[in-house]
Amino acid sequence: MSDTSRNRLRRSIRQTLTIARRDFIATVFTPIFLLFLFAPMIFGVIGGTVGGMSAASMAGGGDRSRIVAIVAADQARTVADADRRLRAVFRDSQEPPPLTTLSPAANPAAQARAAFSAKDYDAAAVLYGPLDRPTILFGGRSDRTADYLATMAAETLAAERLGGRMPAVAATKTRFVPPHPAAGPSNRPNPSAFFAVFGIFFLTLFLSGQVVGTMAEERSNKVVEVLAAAVPLESVFLGKLLGMFGVAILFVGFWGTVVGNLGLLLPGDMGRELASITPAVGAAPFSLLFAAYFTTAYLLLGSVFLGVGAQASTMREIQLLSLPITFVQMSMFGLAAAAAGRPGSWIASMAEVFPLSSPFAMAGRAANRAELWPHVAAIAWQLLWVAVFITVGARLFRRGVLQSGSARPWWRRRRVA
Amino acid sequence: MTTGDWACSASGLVKRFGDRRVVDGIDIAVPRGAIYGVLGPNGAGKTTTLRMMLGIIEPDGGTRQLLDAEHPRDASDRVGYLPEERGLYPAMKAREAIAFMGALRGLDWRTGRRRAGVLLERAGLGHAADSKIRKLSKGMAQLVQLLGAVVHEPDLLVLDEPFSGLDPVNQERLEALITGERDRGATVIFSTHVMAHAERLCDRLAIIAGGKRRFEGTVDDARGTLPARVHYVPHHVGAGLAAVLPPDARADGDGWRFQLPAEGIEQLLVRLIQAGHGISGLSIERPGLHEAFVRIVGRDALEAAA
Repeated sequence: MSDTSRNRLRRSIRQTLTIARRDFIATVFTPIFLLFLFAPMIFGVIGGTVGGMSAASMAGGGDRSRIVAIVAADQARTVADADRRLRAVFRDSQEPPPLTTLSPAANPAAQARAAFSAKDYDAAAVLYGPLDRPTILFGGRSDRTADYLATMAAETLAAERLGGRMPAVAATKTRFVPPHPAAGPSNRPNPSAFFAVFGIFFLTLFLSGQVVGTMAEERSNKVVEVLAAAVPLESVFLGKLLGMFGVAILFVGFWGTVVGNLGLLLPGDMGRELASITPAVGAAPFSLLFAAYFTTAYLLLGSVFLGVGAQASTMREIQLLSLPITFVQMSMFGLAAAAAGRPGSWIASMAEVFPLSSPFAMAGRAANRAELWPHVAAIAWQLLWVAVFITVGARLFRRGVLQSGSARPWWRRRRVA
Repeated sequence: MTTGDWACSASGLVKRFGDRRVVDGIDIAVPRGAIYGVLGPNGAGKTTTLRMMLGIIEPDGGTRQLLDAEHPRDASDRVGYLPEERGLYPAMKAREAIAFMGALRGLDWRTGRRRAGVLLERAGLGHAADSKIRKLSKGMAQLVQLLGAVVHEPDLLVLDEPFSGLDPVNQERLEALITGERDRGATVIFSTHVMAHAERLCDRLAIIAGGKRRFEGTVDDARGTLPARVHYVPHHVGAGLAAVLPPDARADGDGWRFQLPAEGIEQLLVRLIQAGHGISGLSIERPGLHEAFVRIVGRDALEAAA
């Protein structure tokens, strides 16, 4: 590289970072940024409070839902034991309603129908009649609960035939992670692939869309003329993109640290699910690739949104762009998710090559396949497209907004000179 | 002069916006160390010419050279620019805004902030150094932007309509700043349609109208495009006075006005004295730049631009 080229590169980097620094500081050191940063917490607290109040309200009224078994008094204990054994299989949120047993009246069918009008509980399903041929009434969406009662009846009969008790089983439970195939690609999807695709999609969904309006500030306060006179528009675009990426990194880093240190904040089984992720490339390379693909996904989508948003001259036009932006993101997610579910298929190859879906699909590939070299090529390919999108965006801006032709590239200038 | 003597030059610059040629083959060469005015009525193509010379927009034809660079972009760190449409980030403090503009041109932030403080003090805006731009008056913000254009001590300073929007006190400050920059060794180009500033400041100037360059030279050269005018007041008004005076002489109050004869005033004065009219008052008035500008641009073009 000649001294001139080196100086030109050094100057471009300096100009880009100057723009990025300004945008980062202008975004981060504002009260609105605190709202942005703490939005998940604020809305989490609001959601939690509202949810808690709802739960308290429900708890106050008691969970009145019940499954009802109308069985002879001498069978009630066996039925209750069967219910306890079966119930252990379910997670809390999937458990059927608690069991209530009733002694049969003169007309069990009428009694069963009357159970749905009981004052002290709400019957989801009611079983009556002999256990080998029970009749089960169920309401609304309780067909699964009806199945549960049928299984409970069978379990009860089985226990009775074994003298009232089921045999005790002392099982040894050990989590087993199947080894990855040593060689040769597998076409079976790894569950981690969907996590990878969804993770990057989730992170970029809200963050990259913010880039769309960044040039509007320069256009409205006319700073664009100052910038365009001092710095090539390509550096302005890249600088703004990197500035906003810095904001995104700060956001992700902050919440990553919070969630990492307070695992309890993870919803539901997510912590356990994350721990079970076993990507084909291995955990450490996968983490690096995940970060790299988050970066390229942000830069790719951001550069497209920045270029399109720069053409908009009013906030109304920018707001109108939010729908197509979301559509593009959802499409890329859908394509990459389909690719993750069918590794080695043509749709997977297409998603890996198409620039906007490539980071998502390649993250899925990292979970499905062990080779590392395609990732080097993919990251280079994606960065090339970032450069293409920024160049095209800057040229469109130069022609459309500054009403200029495009500058002759430096390599052509040199040839002419 | 050789190419190296020019701070910037352009030859045959052309720019079309749609079907309209807003700049139509303009040639400009600005000597190093000069204060150079680009004059013209509204819509003449001054701003477009300056933007092309700085590389903000690309010309449709012609060539340009800026501080020895084939492409203006390669010299952008050595240029300061105040655009016609002022623009600053409203949430930035004045000192930071100046340092930022310096950083865009390669000045490190620390030096930029230090110089910004000095420049603001010198411009009488020391009290506003840590005020946000949105809290400054329009004139103050304009001065801040101007200081941002010089903070990195550029070799070439380009100011597009720098005096518009400034009160007389700040206009005087700006004139001092422009001459100060020239004395430092910088070349200054500014566009204006106010002749008084150009007349006081410019070493050379170009007059543009209708996208074409109509004149290039010194202020004196421009004024020299019109002949001097004579105002003569006779001591004795006689019947034959009009016959002695040049044919274009017109009575004006107690005197007469006419164009200075090509051979000079001396022979006419001799004839007037010999004819007994005497001389009670005599002044030879050179035309101002304003008159020269009107003649060069053409009254029709000025009325079309108004």
